[in-house]
Amino acid sequence: MLKNPQHPKKGQLRDKQCLFSKAGLEYIDYKDTDTLRRFINDQGKILPRRVTGTSTKFQRQLAKAVKRARHLGLLAFVADNVR
Amino acid sequence: MKKTFYEVTYIVNPVLEEAETKAEIDKINSFITRQGGEIDEVNEWGNRRLTYEMSGKQTGYFVNMYFTSPGELIVKLERMMQINENIVRYLTLKYDKKMLRHREMLKRGEVPNIFKVIDQDPEA
Repeated sequence: MLKNPQHPKKGQLRDKQCLFSKAGLEYIDYKDTDTLRRFINDQGKILPRRVTGTSTKFQRQLAKAVKRARHLGLLAFVADNVR
Repeated sequence: MKKTFYEVTYIVNPVLEEAETKAEIDKINSFITRQGGEIDEVNEWGNRRLTYEMSGKQTGYFVNMYFTSPGELIVKLERMMQINENIVRYLTLKYDKKMLRHREMLKRGEVPNIFKVIDQDPEA
């Protein structure tokens, strides 16, 4: 990411990588709620790309998968404990 | 007639007796075969807790199925499920090539766990 070896943030900044592209997946399954749960916060909101490092392509798929899972009641629209 | 691969997941009313649930599932399966579809796989996930209440129900009997059929069947099937009071909710997906490849992987049990990548390579 930073090419300059003397840059003060060298070593602190991490290259973000899209986990989906890295694992070689092509499709994000709405049935795989354990995976989807890692990409939503405890209120049930979808985490932004800047937090998770997911590529645009997979973020779009991820959002769709989460929404499908919500429709079927596999994931919550709003978590119960938060009012 | 052109046939496409579909996946349907639906939730049957959990209050029904076991035999009644079977009857509902059979009704849908026979409807598909009668209308020129071919069932590939039917998985019953059984009773599951819903994360939020749907028409006054906290749990639901999930059924997940795969089949190939002509597209006209889907409209009829969705209408049938909409009218049937014992079906709380449904989701139909038309499969494209990527999804089909994913399903092949799923069948072989080779779906990569994306979190294993983190564990192996914490400095990534």
